[in-house]
Amino acid sequence: SSSQLSSVPLQMLFYVHGVYDIFYFLATLAMILYKSQVFSYPDGFLAPDLTLLCILAILEALRLHLGSKGNLTEEEAPLGISLVMTVGSVLLAMYFLVWQTYVLKADVILNALLLALLGLEAMLKLMAIAAFV
Amino acid sequence: ETRAASRARPRSGPAPVTDVAQLCVCDLLVAQCDVNCCCDPDCSAADFSLFTACSVPIVTGDSHLCSQKAALYSLDVEANPPERIFKVIDHTNPSVFCIHAANYEQALSFSSPTMPTAENFDLLLKQFGSAAFSAEPGSWNMNIDAENSSDGNETYRYEYGVPIQTVDAFLSLPSPVVSSWCSDANPAGFLVNQATKCTRSVSVEKCGDIQAVNMLFYINSSILAVPKSSQMVNITVQSIAVQSPNGIKTLVNGSDGLRLPMILDGLCINIVLGVSYHITYTDAGEIIEAAAAFVLGAINKEALSIQQSFEISFTQVNTEAVPLSGNPGYVVGLPIRAGFQPQGYPFPVEVFAAFSTNKYNQFTILQSTSNQDCLAAQGARTPILFGYNMISGCKLRIPSAMKCQPLSQTLLDLLKGQNFPEYVASFGNSQAQDVLDWVPITHLHTSEQRISNPFQSSCQIPVAFELEVKWTKYGSLVNPQARIVNVTARITTTPLKQLPSGRERTIPVTSSVVFTDISSPAEPGYKAWPTINVKLPFDFFFPFV
Repeated sequence: SSSQLSSVPLQMLFYVHGVYDIFYFLATLAMILYKSQVFSYPDGFLAPDLTLLCILAILEALRLHLGSKGNLTEEEAPLGISLVMTVGSVLLAMYFLVWQTYVLKADVILNALLLALLGLEAMLKLMAIAAFV
Repeated sequence: ETRAASRARPRSGPAPVTDVAQLCVCDLLVAQCDVNCCCDPDCSAADFSLFTACSVPIVTGDSHLCSQKAALYSLDVEANPPERIFKVIDHTNPSVFCIHAANYEQALSFSSPTMPTAENFDLLLKQFGSAAFSAEPGSWNMNIDAENSSDGNETYRYEYGVPIQTVDAFLSLPSPVVSSWCSDANPAGFLVNQATKCTRSVSVEKCGDIQAVNMLFYINSSILAVPKSSQMVNITVQSIAVQSPNGIKTLVNGSDGLRLPMILDGLCINIVLGVSYHITYTDAGEIIEAAAAFVLGAINKEALSIQQSFEISFTQVNTEAVPLSGNPGYVVGLPIRAGFQPQGYPFPVEVFAAFSTNKYNQFTILQSTSNQDCLAAQGARTPILFGYNMISGCKLRIPSAMKCQPLSQTLLDLLKGQNFPEYVASFGNSQAQDVLDWVPITHLHTSEQRISNPFQSSCQIPVAFELEVKWTKYGSLVNPQARIVNVTARITTTPLKQLPSGRERTIPVTSSVVFTDISSPAEPGYKAWPTINVKLPFDFFFPFV
């Protein structure tokens, strides 16, 4: 029973994070639409925000897939790549928390939660890599 | 050096005030306390004690922000005297969608527009200008052509208001635009009778160079008979009148071609003071004839500008323009029509000729001139307009050795004018054939001679000429028409006393026109009371009667 090196909390976190990511993506998209209607949101500012949101979605999907695969197959390589991609996700989450055109209170809450999840995941991935190696 | 600095950087409007403690919407009076305005910095504590309420209780920034400063103003009416309470608090927006931060500076306020300077003007014009600010008038012509070419093979003709086209542009009637200076860009519209007056700057030195005072300028372009055709109508010179410096116009006999401006004796002569175009057209909208009548004058060295007057009128071919003065009753302000009766029938008045001394060639009265000298003011007359009482006069300077009889005749001619008519039309539209519609002018002669010397028959000179026109209202009560009933011309004469030689006298000479309304007031008429007309039949009581 203890020959299993895959981290169960990490896997659970991946699953929760996946669900949360879907919610996060839809919610942020809806809020950007809301902001563009209510506030003055010129195209020069709207385009980067939407682009970065799409990049974040793709990045998250890839990261979760690789991380999950690495964790389940007990390989360090995918888990390592996933860890590196976590850094990118953290940067993007910081953008949406601080440098977005309009940062609403809901944005702050969502991005703070995302950062917390990312931080927790990073820690668990390190521990898993340490266990696999 | 301030101008250089301001040219260097583009000026923008003042920065908006964002500190809520300093914003006050109700502070409308400068350096004075506004009533019930608690945020007014000009109000003292004594003023606050007189307020009843605060018209502006709270001043906040954008309410979308999660946390913002708000200035609260209220009156504490419990205290004696009432005093104002001013607090600055942090106002939080409870909504989860409040703006926590905005990285876009112009997000929450209007952007101040860029001030146009010489450098960025073209850019701004391209960005914000549209058809209304387009600086090319040529583009308008292109649109007109595009519209008309889509009509296909239609025969063109002039319609009311359409600008009259010449070979290269439009026939222009110079007119004042914004100021009183002439602008040559005013096109004449077809069938639009216009008269304009404007000022032109001239100088004797540039006598021959100024185009606009040269006759050629007004007649050298030919008019197109119909729009966009090649058929052209030349503008002919109908008549030339020369105006002397004191305003008397004389027709030049036999238009011997053009008279161009030239310098003569220090004056620049033959400069155009007025042009009157007469265009003849057919009922198919085609121009067949164009004539221009000129008034030329002279300017001297001191003249810096002249006033030019322009006129255009349209007559249909084969018609005679006999302007009526009313239909049927006279209209106030229109000239009285008068005529003669040689051997049988009175003539209607002739069509006016441009620039003859009395324009309508009919009933006129002496016109006062500026120099008030009777014998010098030959020919200045003004038409008598219905309903307008007029009085005019001049001063007659009689040298001691003046012969009475020729003086008397001259004065009579002066007061009556040439062609003094014998009949006056009683309606504004009276035709020549209706003899009964014309009222004869009654002449009266009164003398100022005192009865003291009836045997001294000295010669009389006329000193006053009074025309009394009696008119009445004719026709229905709701739309009465003016009808002239009686015209009386009264000449008052005074004896000319011979004075010792060497002395000179001045006597005033007056002429006047008075219109008197002699219409009798309308009497109301009532309908008769209805009667009951009942009659029994003849044999009603048959068996007994």
